[in-house]
Amino acid sequence: MTAVDWIVIVLRVALPALVLPVFVIPLTWLERRGAAFIQDRPGPNRVGPFGLAQAVADMLKMFNKEAVIPATADRMLFLLAPAVAVFAALSTFAIVPYSSSIEIAGKHVPMIGADISIGILYLFAITSLSVYAIVLAGWASDNKFALMGGIRSSAQIISYELAMTTAVAGVVLAASSFHLSDVVEMQQGTWLGFIPRWNVFPQFFGFVVFFVAAFAETNRLPFDLPEAEPELVAGYHTEYSAMRFGAFQMAEYVNVMVASAVTTTLYFGGWSLPGFHPTGVLGAILSLLVFMAKSFFFVCVFIWVRWTLPRFRYDQLMRIGWKALLPLALANLIWVAALETFRMPVR
Amino acid sequence: MERLVFDVAALVAIVFAGLMVIGRDPVKSVLALVVSFFALAAGYVLLLAPFIAALQVIVYAGAILVLFLFVLMLLNVGRERPDGMRRPIQMVLGSLAVLLFAGLLLGMFRATSGKIPFLARPLSEGELADPAALARLLFSEYLLHFEAVSVLLLAALIGAFVLARREDA
Repeated sequence: MTAVDWIVIVLRVALPALVLPVFVIPLTWLERRGAAFIQDRPGPNRVGPFGLAQAVADMLKMFNKEAVIPATADRMLFLLAPAVAVFAALSTFAIVPYSSSIEIAGKHVPMIGADISIGILYLFAITSLSVYAIVLAGWASDNKFALMGGIRSSAQIISYELAMTTAVAGVVLAASSFHLSDVVEMQQGTWLGFIPRWNVFPQFFGFVVFFVAAFAETNRLPFDLPEAEPELVAGYHTEYSAMRFGAFQMAEYVNVMVASAVTTTLYFGGWSLPGFHPTGVLGAILSLLVFMAKSFFFVCVFIWVRWTLPRFRYDQLMRIGWKALLPLALANLIWVAALETFRMPVR
Repeated sequence: MERLVFDVAALVAIVFAGLMVIGRDPVKSVLALVVSFFALAAGYVLLLAPFIAALQVIVYAGAILVLFLFVLMLLNVGRERPDGMRRPIQMVLGSLAVLLFAGLLLGMFRATSGKIPFLARPLSEGELADPAALARLLFSEYLLHFEAVSVLLLAALIGAFVLARREDA
């Protein structure tokens, strides 16, 4: 291992893996201040400038509270569930290209955790793992509300995963590749000189399906039925306290960030901008900023939607998933297939 | 290194498959199977077939077993009673089935001298690694098998639907 290898590892693996959990802290502040703004109240504004230190104070509180394990709970699975949640959330980011590639000591280094041939499929594989965190938490708690949350979550995630993967199939078809780096590559340049070649334009309905399904997959309002507090106390994490509860919260916020990053990459050109040709380290930093700005926009949409829309009823949730999103995703897929056949006839 | 990863993955797959069979708690049996499937997926990656590995995790661990868990939790299936469940006839028939299966496996290995006989021709290294190449193979050389399996699955789906349907509905 030379020094260059170490730099590459830090840039490609350690940096994103460490930065995401750190971003959770300002994100919780943003969520609470955003909620307060939408509900016309001040929100947390006392600790530090603009209440920014409130998030840090909350974190310290979480670490110091008593962590209770219910007497009848299944100890091993009860402890395993939050760990699985955080692990699944953090490992999904590995396949998202977050900046243009740079040259280090003559080596071409793409800024992505792992540019594997199955690309986006890896994301779905790991997402399916995160279901187990919720289901396990619900079952191991030995609490009827928690169990209800776990059951709801498993049904919800299976239903919405179908629509989500079908929507993404359109992007994969257009890019003829599972690599997210190729997906970014194909979205560079413009149509007619002023419309960016982003997937959102030809595949608008695919984007809508993907983004709505992302809310369901991250258990955010209006699809947060696994933890619906008026009916289920706190759903699957009812029995969790202290940092174990914090782990679930952290997983949720990391999932929101990853969902925003993937939406940016699949439908909004990732780190690229029309007319922007990044080169070298400065270019990489600039494209990283572009990527973060785009992702930040979607994180804000997540927060905005959460405090604007009421929760769906369970039957409505299932009806939207199977009768609205899935047919829409299939129609989008057929549309993209037709476009591709027209553009590039079968060899 | 590769050998070590394979050994660990194979060991995990076998141990957890065993736990799945032995376990008295249905939910824990399903979870043991999930771990076993993940270990199998690691095996596929080592065989240079990452696409199959991803499908293994998405379809089996991610969808089918979540459905299993969903049904188990919905029906609230309790622990299996350890006593009074095994009749002598079960032991006899079970042992017979195991012997038959072992004989079948042995016979197969002897007949083919250890080579896998199911492929029309040996696959080259890249063919399973690249999803596009795999798809081309699936829709050309193995199209008949592919379509036959899809019809079989459809038949099973309709069969399940007919069996589970209420008479008055």
